[in-house]
Amino acid sequence: MIQVSGLCKNHGSLAVLKGVCMSVQRGEVAAIIGPSGGGKSTLLRCINGLERFQQGEIQVDNLKLSSRPDGEALRKLRQHVGMVFQQFHLFPHMTVLENVMCGPRLVLKQSRAQAEPEGVRLLERVGLKDKLHCKPEQLSGGQQQRVAIARALAVKPDAILFDEPTSALDPVMANEVLAVITDLAKHEQTMLVVTHAMGFAERVAQTVHVMAEGQVAESGPADQIFHAPRTEVTKRFLMQVKTS
Amino acid sequence: MIARVFIACMASLLLSPCLRADTLDEIKKRGVIRWGGDEEGGAPYIIGGDDKTRPAGFEGELMEALAKKLGVRPEFKQCDWANLTDLLRGGEVDIICNGVELRKDRVQSNLCTIPYFVNDLQLLARKNDGRLKSWADLRQPIQGDKWHIGVLTDTAAERFLKENFAETVKTKDYPGTTQAMDHVRDEQLDATLTDLMAANTFGNRYPTLHFVGETVGRGYFVIYLRPGNERLRDELNAGLREMMADGRLKTIYDKYQIWNDAQLTLVIPEVQQLPDQMRGGEERKRGWAVIRENLVTLLEAAGMTVLLSITSMPLAIVLGLLIALGRLFGPAILRAPLAVYVEVIRGTPLMLQLFFLFYVLPWAIHSFVALPDWWNHNFALIAAVSGLAINYSAYEAEIYRAGLQAIPAGQMEAALSLGLTRRQALRYVLVPQAVRIVIPPVTNDFIALFKDTSVCSAITIIELSKQYSIVANNTGAPLEVAAVTALLYLAMSYPLSLLARRLEKRVPAINA
Repeated sequence: MIQVSGLCKNHGSLAVLKGVCMSVQRGEVAAIIGPSGGGKSTLLRCINGLERFQQGEIQVDNLKLSSRPDGEALRKLRQHVGMVFQQFHLFPHMTVLENVMCGPRLVLKQSRAQAEPEGVRLLERVGLKDKLHCKPEQLSGGQQQRVAIARALAVKPDAILFDEPTSALDPVMANEVLAVITDLAKHEQTMLVVTHAMGFAERVAQTVHVMAEGQVAESGPADQIFHAPRTEVTKRFLMQVKTS
Repeated sequence: MIARVFIACMASLLLSPCLRADTLDEIKKRGVIRWGGDEEGGAPYIIGGDDKTRPAGFEGELMEALAKKLGVRPEFKQCDWANLTDLLRGGEVDIICNGVELRKDRVQSNLCTIPYFVNDLQLLARKNDGRLKSWADLRQPIQGDKWHIGVLTDTAAERFLKENFAETVKTKDYPGTTQAMDHVRDEQLDATLTDLMAANTFGNRYPTLHFVGETVGRGYFVIYLRPGNERLRDELNAGLREMMADGRLKTIYDKYQIWNDAQLTLVIPEVQQLPDQMRGGEERKRGWAVIRENLVTLLEAAGMTVLLSITSMPLAIVLGLLIALGRLFGPAILRAPLAVYVEVIRGTPLMLQLFFLFYVLPWAIHSFVALPDWWNHNFALIAAVSGLAINYSAYEAEIYRAGLQAIPAGQMEAALSLGLTRRQALRYVLVPQAVRIVIPPVTNDFIALFKDTSVCSAITIIELSKQYSIVANNTGAPLEVAAVTALLYLAMSYPLSLLARRLEKRVPAINA
């Protein structure tokens, strides 16, 4: 489903990604963990075409993303891959329902009548049926993030990328959001989640990738990564997480 | 309360000169007679030189001669021609002398000398314009429209046409003689009615124009003084009579090639008695009676102010938004020219831009294309609206640029990640948010533009400020007219502020 091979990216002279290889299968939930500054978010942003890269290749389904993509290719790609941000980035001037209908109406060219029932259904699914006509500013952080998930789901992407979806939330609100993601996992939604919530990664992810210093240090089933790590990088990282 | 204080201050300002003693003693004591005029009128009236206080020109030389007779030195003071009587009233100068005509309303609130120049009016039109060969032609409307004839604001020419040709002629107010001639040449006007002297002096610059019909509307130039200065007036009159008798006046007029047979009538007693005759007769209307008489014209002028504002501001906003989007999100090739546009427009005065649009552009275009009459006849309005729109577009562009930049980058990313095109992201996500951010500064600009419409009087538009100046100058109620004008402005701008406050509170629905 998602194939990343030999991906290199520099910010000026600083190498952020140094030949990253990774693959996500259809229906798989993959987590990316690792120390801050290891390139996790940058990798996600590259897969969604929000950042350019210098070398390597990204393939989503049969769409290839080169290092110099044109606008149309990016748009196609983004219809296949949705994104949920750490800071939610809901559109503040639209209601909750309008936020969710934004993609279907503008990208899938649906009428309001077509888009509305699906929008309501998605918001029901994330537990916000009673907030349809609220403005984002009236919602808590956890509620906003759940709207953001519904918004990403609305364009029916094949895969959704989560960029630290709970890092800006307190534990209670984080759990609300993780519950929604867990529910999606049960329905075999393909997801790639950058997260610091280790318990969540262990419970929900089938595959866990450990990234550090712009490279994938180790990939494997969640059980193996958390209980029988093979690389020093993983062991050190898990120790740090435990002691902190 | 504040208004009352303001009116009291205004009143004391206006009244104080009247309380002064005869200026003649003061002039002799300081050895200087201060006189006001407008150098912009140029040759042959007043021609500026190295010494700004001692200009040449026939009026400059006349003042030199008269001052010498008083045993003092003349000192010239520059002032916009239309405001010369205000300058005199304010006490800045002792007398004004710059082609100001002898007029009933003026002699009722000022003193004046005997006439020093006989002024006839001459109609100038294009040689190749077969429609206009005589005064009789002006009696017939052309193609259902009135003739458009340029005049200097508030002059005998304007009055003559309004009194005699109101049905078939529309006068257009110009700040200068040659600007009206330019526009006759460039076919913006059908003709101009101007002082014979000006027609003679500047006519040879316009080979495509010629004199049409006989001279009309004989008037007289006089020197005005504040009331209560009878002794100074008598001394000036004595000086003028002396110069007429010994031929010095003719010498000066010959030098500037403005002497004609009409000037011979200056020495006739009937002519010299004209000011005294005019002072008599019915008392001029004062106070609120003036307001009653002029309220309709003031309201019409206020309507023009509103029309200019509400047509130019939306244009400025749209233009400004497009410029801001171009600078932030447009192709690199557009960015530098747009930045230059903003800097040039912001960095030059509105007045200059209007002058360019109204006087220079037609001259440039005229040689290439013939524009339809409706365009030419409405050109002042077209130039005013586009001038204001262009000027303010630069400011709106900067406001929108700041507004767009204030939106977090995540908004654009979130929109793109949903699969929106950049254009959609701008239209449905960024611009609606920017609009809300910029409502306060844009409203502020709207109120500023609203007041800046007064600059359009420089290009023959009569809006509220101009109408105020005309009414205030011609009536005995400057204070009342000022108060009513201020009230009209307030009545127009205050609802704007209220509207803006409501807009800020209300969040417009987004159609996404």
